[in-house]
Amino acid sequence: MSDGIKVFRWRAVGPLLVLFVVACVLWWLFADTIARHESQNVGTQLLGAKVEIQYLHLDLAHGDVTIRGLTIASPHEAFKNLLQADELVADLDMLPLTEKKLVIDRIVASGLRFGTPRETDGRVPAESGQGIAGSVLAETREWASRFQIPALQLATGKIGVDSLDPRRLSTIPAADALGARADSSRRAWQTAFDTLRLGPTLDSASATLEQLRRARATDLATINTARQTIDRLKRARDRVTTLERNVKTGTSQLQAGLAGLDSARQRDYAFARSLLKLPSLDAPAIGAAVFGPGAIKPFQQALYYTQLARRYMPPGLLPRAATGPSRVRRAGENVRFPKERALPAFLLRSAELSFLPQRYAGRLTGLTSDPALYGRPTAFAATGPQLAAGAMLNHTRSIPLDTAGATVGGVQFPAFDVPGVPLRLDPGAATTHLGFSLNGDTIHARFAIRSSNVRWTRDSGFANSAIGNLVWRAVSGISNLDVETRLSGALEHPALAVRSNLDQAIAARLRAELGAQVDAAEKQMRARVDALVNAKVGPVRARVTEVQSQAQAQVAKQRARIDELQKGLEQRLRQLLGGVRLP
Amino acid sequence: MFTLIKLIQSLFGALHSEGTPGQLAAGIVLGSFLGLTPLINLHNAIIFAALVLLNVSFAGGMLGWALFVPIGFLLDPLFDWIGHQLLFAEQLRGVWTTLYNTPVVPLTNFNNTVVLGSLVFALVFALPLFFALRWAVARYRVTIGERVRQSKWYRTIMASKAYNVYKLFKP
Repeated sequence: MSDGIKVFRWRAVGPLLVLFVVACVLWWLFADTIARHESQNVGTQLLGAKVEIQYLHLDLAHGDVTIRGLTIASPHEAFKNLLQADELVADLDMLPLTEKKLVIDRIVASGLRFGTPRETDGRVPAESGQGIAGSVLAETREWASRFQIPALQLATGKIGVDSLDPRRLSTIPAADALGARADSSRRAWQTAFDTLRLGPTLDSASATLEQLRRARATDLATINTARQTIDRLKRARDRVTTLERNVKTGTSQLQAGLAGLDSARQRDYAFARSLLKLPSLDAPAIGAAVFGPGAIKPFQQALYYTQLARRYMPPGLLPRAATGPSRVRRAGENVRFPKERALPAFLLRSAELSFLPQRYAGRLTGLTSDPALYGRPTAFAATGPQLAAGAMLNHTRSIPLDTAGATVGGVQFPAFDVPGVPLRLDPGAATTHLGFSLNGDTIHARFAIRSSNVRWTRDSGFANSAIGNLVWRAVSGISNLDVETRLSGALEHPALAVRSNLDQAIAARLRAELGAQVDAAEKQMRARVDALVNAKVGPVRARVTEVQSQAQAQVAKQRARIDELQKGLEQRLRQLLGGVRLP
Repeated sequence: MFTLIKLIQSLFGALHSEGTPGQLAAGIVLGSFLGLTPLINLHNAIIFAALVLLNVSFAGGMLGWALFVPIGFLLDPLFDWIGHQLLFAEQLRGVWTTLYNTPVVPLTNFNNTVVLGSLVFALVFALPLFFALRWAVARYRVTIGERVRQSKWYRTIMASKAYNVYKLFKP
């Protein structure tokens, strides 16, 4: 074999081995740094908030990973951390690493702290909206924005009347549509009635009856003709019955349309009322206005983590795609192919958690990317003084069930401005309770705050606001706060209910002061709506009634005529035949 | 600028090397794998080892890598699409599931749409590229190769010190 066609370049083995050794040395030197950077990147991508690690050490010989100074920023709040941990020691199962699967037998986490402040904004997908975390965050934000929180419009204390545009009232187009439907029904019924062609049948039956009256019992031809006429009359009556049924259906639809006009009018009242900028005097509306915006947040955050868990821990064994690793080239998608009786791509068998202060402890078990393979739900529990928390993510079946509950005492909530009122509420140290259940797409959640030492402060800029004064007088003496928010129903459109001990106090004070004024304004507004709507609705209502009665009368008249002729023919036949039935 | 000069040096150095057109074409084809597929992957370590150990043009490999990197970037959407079609093909699910749960194989990142798409593209593209390049190099050498070698600018470029680095790995 000549030199030109040698397959191997043996002299390159040496340099290649040197390169391999250099790579190993570099790995030995920089493995910790690389792993730290990768962990930060992957964690950031997964959670949608910056994950920072101060120190990471891989001890592959013993299958240990030590992390110190872990900080995970909050995906929801700019300058807050979700959690910080002093140290995490993980015990890895080494064999699954050859399948690129991460199986952690046990993690011991110590020095966990939640909600600590941070200096920089740690939210990542808030800017880009990219990746699973970004899309889930955007979805939950959109979900939270759907709740119609009524505004407590008390800032100026004026009852204004905006111009009411008739084009924005729903009753008028509904009345037009109903009028058109009534006309169309009238035409359709007339056509149907004409196609019955009852005239010739009835005329023929009358003539036959006359002949029959003059006939004798032996006049078999006339008797047969009479029988045939009776059959024709029966068929005609069947057709009339069918038409009558159609008319009944149509008239009930027109009646429903009339009822719809009443509903539309109620909606128009509500719409016109919203234009009046009336202060709400309903206690639930006041509760929703004051606490609704803040009360949605815990649900939104719980939903974010639940939906994130559902995306990363989906039920079933179908292939599933996730965003690929960030790199200069396009990331693409990483597709996982779970296999029965194989290990999941990620599994944390158990984690022992100890919080700061050290009297708090928790345990997490069965956190996995493939719940169907692991076969058990992920469970979390934490206990401590004034703390009881638990969560379960059950994605082992086709319909996932996620539940969480926590009661935390002594939580210092930040003071907040009460929307629409020149007041600031500082709840102080409060006890909170969160209950959350997402079963498939049905949500049931409850969030409650109780505090016995709330403080109220007043915005001096609104010192002359009359209604501000009213509310101040209503609430300033109240030192207890008891707020409960409930959410229930289909995830897409759950019902939100907010109740607090302040609702009744504010509502009662407002009603006492403003009730008469509000009632007068509402009466005026209703009169304006009625003036615009009645001009349209009155004639339509009359037209519908006329169409209904006309059609019903026409059908009834023809039916009565048919019955009369049939009866006459049958009676005469009986007289002629004397009870004898001829073949 | 230095990179460009090096690239031109590599190109002409390879074209005028003592290696056969087949060696040069094979080197470029192996280099195309490095350029077309995302670099940091296990299969590229194997490709690189092959480029070093097999008696193919290493310079051709570097040239192929440099030439195909921008093409790889440009074709990434196509690779993503190919990979997606393959990974989600119902008929291939069993194969992927087996591979995904086999030790070492997942370390190749075959389950990434861009990696799989680009690798399949590079594999399909390899043979036509090899034959086309082998023919083109042979034609170059018998037609304008000698004139280029005698030209002043060729000697200027090749006189650069960077050429010496290339010489270390010439076939």
